[in-house]
Amino acid sequence: MPDRMVLERLVSDVARQIRLRRAEYYGLRGLLWGAVATIPPLLFKELLGGTVLLLSGALLAAGAAAGALYGLMLNLPAREAARLADRGYALKDRVTTALEWADRPDRTPVVEALVTDAVAHARSLQGKRIIARRLPRDARLLPLPLALGTLLAVAPPIPIPQASLPNFSSSREEEEEKPKDRAGELQTAERPRGARPDPIQRADVQERTLSPRLGAGGLSQPGDLAAIFKDTSLGGHAPDFNSFLKRGDERIRMLEQLDRLPDLQRDFTQNQTKMVFQKAKSLRGGLNPSQISPEKLRELLNEMERLGRKGGPNNWSGDVFEGMEALEGGQTDKAMEAMERALSKMRSMDEKGRDGKNLRGGREDERRGQRGRNRGAGQQGGPGDEGDFPEGEGLLPGRGKSASPKGDPTQRLRGMPYDVGVEGQARSGKKSGIDTNLVGRGGPMASRLQYLGVLGQYKKMMEEAIAREQVPRDFQGQVKEYFQSLDER
Amino acid sequence: MAQPSVPAPNQEARVREFVTGFQTLRAEVRKVIVGHDDVVTQVLISLFAGGHVLLEGVPGLGKTLLIKTLAESLHLSFSRIQFTPDLMPGDIIGTNIIVEDDEGRKHFQFQRGPIFGHILLADEVNRATPKTQSALLEGMQEGAVTVSGHANALPMPFFVLATQNPIEMEGTYPLPEAQLDRFLFKLRVQYPALEELTEIIERTTHVRDVQVQRVMTGPQVMSFRELVREIPIASHVRDLASFIVLATHPQWERAPEQARRFIRYGASPRGAQALVLGAKVRALAEGRYNVAVDDLRALALPALRHRIILNFEGEAEGVDVDRLIGEIVEAAESLSGSQKEVFLK
Repeated sequence: MPDRMVLERLVSDVARQIRLRRAEYYGLRGLLWGAVATIPPLLFKELLGGTVLLLSGALLAAGAAAGALYGLMLNLPAREAARLADRGYALKDRVTTALEWADRPDRTPVVEALVTDAVAHARSLQGKRIIARRLPRDARLLPLPLALGTLLAVAPPIPIPQASLPNFSSSREEEEEKPKDRAGELQTAERPRGARPDPIQRADVQERTLSPRLGAGGLSQPGDLAAIFKDTSLGGHAPDFNSFLKRGDERIRMLEQLDRLPDLQRDFTQNQTKMVFQKAKSLRGGLNPSQISPEKLRELLNEMERLGRKGGPNNWSGDVFEGMEALEGGQTDKAMEAMERALSKMRSMDEKGRDGKNLRGGREDERRGQRGRNRGAGQQGGPGDEGDFPEGEGLLPGRGKSASPKGDPTQRLRGMPYDVGVEGQARSGKKSGIDTNLVGRGGPMASRLQYLGVLGQYKKMMEEAIAREQVPRDFQGQVKEYFQSLDER
Repeated sequence: MAQPSVPAPNQEARVREFVTGFQTLRAEVRKVIVGHDDVVTQVLISLFAGGHVLLEGVPGLGKTLLIKTLAESLHLSFSRIQFTPDLMPGDIIGTNIIVEDDEGRKHFQFQRGPIFGHILLADEVNRATPKTQSALLEGMQEGAVTVSGHANALPMPFFVLATQNPIEMEGTYPLPEAQLDRFLFKLRVQYPALEELTEIIERTTHVRDVQVQRVMTGPQVMSFRELVREIPIASHVRDLASFIVLATHPQWERAPEQARRFIRYGASPRGAQALVLGAKVRALAEGRYNVAVDDLRALALPALRHRIILNFEGEAEGVDVDRLIGEIVEAAESLSGSQKEVFLK
């Protein structure tokens, strides 16, 4: 085995450097506290006389010495020193590994080469200092007690006040007078708290000259918030600052609801569940569930319900509805529980979707799903429907078997293109199925009664949706007319 | 053409021979491949560590060319399998065929498939069905394939380099996590820089005859693999490897906050093995006889990025696994005390 002493010397040299630096570090700290300790004796210089300077010097020296001694006596394992040597000399853990493996019984022949290599590196490094001096953070304060001590030492002694009992009589009189004054103030200032002067300077707000608000169809100017509300129900509202000061402008409320404004940075490539989750998260705004207000909760549930409807079948919509009902009934806790349940189901649904070894059939799955739907609708697939397409064929434009970039038309449209939306009288005779093209007033069946029951609810939802979504004004009118016509029936 | 040489008995000579062989092999690959220095180095590290590599990158970055060039630089047999959805396990492993002997008697004889090669390029491995993928992955793990109850050993060294394209995911079968775990490294092939692209154009659009020399034999590779395992590792470096792997587990009580928040499943013990073995090869390739903390830092990404599965929140937040691993390594270093300041203790 090569001369390991070189490595051990290197490590002990580093250990010595560390101890020295520790002594300096803790010595400075000791000096600081020693300097602080000299202040009280110097304050009483008059009492202590000439010995105070000696005492102060002794305190300073004792603090520094105690600190240095503490630093020297701190434990320093050789292993830590070796690691520091590796790091300080950029030896890439050679010394630590060599020292650790040199004595191991299971050492490999390479270890010998390692020790030789480490010794060769160590020889070229002897004597270099790698442990930088470190000053304690509180050493910056050292000049303060030192300067104060020096000042106190050179200044004339501070006269010590004579020890005598204080005269309480005068102060008692003063204290008796003070409550009177206070009581007087209270009497004059006594009035309900609510009547405090309003910090809002109403006059300033009302006197502001504002440019006339542009209509919904008008041109928007830079900085004009009207453009944001152009296509909403608030588009035609004129600003009413009196009501704003009382209740807050609905526009301001809308601006606070960031999720309802168009988010141009949103990544629409994400799936539905992630979007719902992110919306829920942003609506919660990092608050604990217990800190969410009912309004916030209602918004969250509405948003989840709306996105749940868009996202297809799921198992959490029921919880969302339950939450909404609970919220309507004023049961916030129940609504909160339902919302948490829905979020949890949403999460588990996504997790479940990513189970099953992450296998993804891609187009295969879609085709299979399509076939299933066709079969369910009682249609026969085309001749090429059963066979697999070769890779790259099928749905992409120009790559499938169909010449049309959008794919083949469906069987139904090709077979009878004129049967869409045809209205007329029901044919006479026995009906083998239900004709969905019937128009006219239906019979007093239970389903119709339910329909009438939910119509009002749907109408309300429609109005909310129109206010929330960016629907052009022309279409808003059409949608409202449609619901109006349903109501008339 | 370099002649195969017997490793010298002297350890220092063996290490020198490894360093020379590693550098020569890398130089041969670089004759053809422009840039991708890290990827080339990590592929060679994987070769000498005895693991397999999964290369991921968009088309046209030279993944397949890199592997073909590496195969041309070694005195080893090379097979290439283009994975397609209709590829069957028998197309990879081989199959029993009926043959007739001189006496007219018929019997089954095993016809070996392309897996029986030293270097195997599994191009677009995620295009084949899981059944076919698992046929390959079984061979990768066991070093043998079983046909009709008879185990057939694969030639050694057996080195699989699989490629996959991260963007055209339609109609693919992404490798399950259990099978991804069998790859020592997952390497990401990035776009070349401007200078590299200029050099690629220069090299590939002019008349230029580049001859790649075969510079290493199979026995040499096997001998170097043994040498790699002899490299010592200090206990604090080994502990750091353990800490890094454990820190990827959200269930671990000392796991960092990022791991708890974004990770569903952490790296397996294979991840720790890959990290340490890779670090040993890297140390040796740099002419060192010991593993350093830097080696672990350098190889944490390729060794762990395919072994970490993000949870729902991680996916939803679009967490970058590479950045997450970087944070985990930092957290693990402070946990293991390798960054601890001994000065004031």
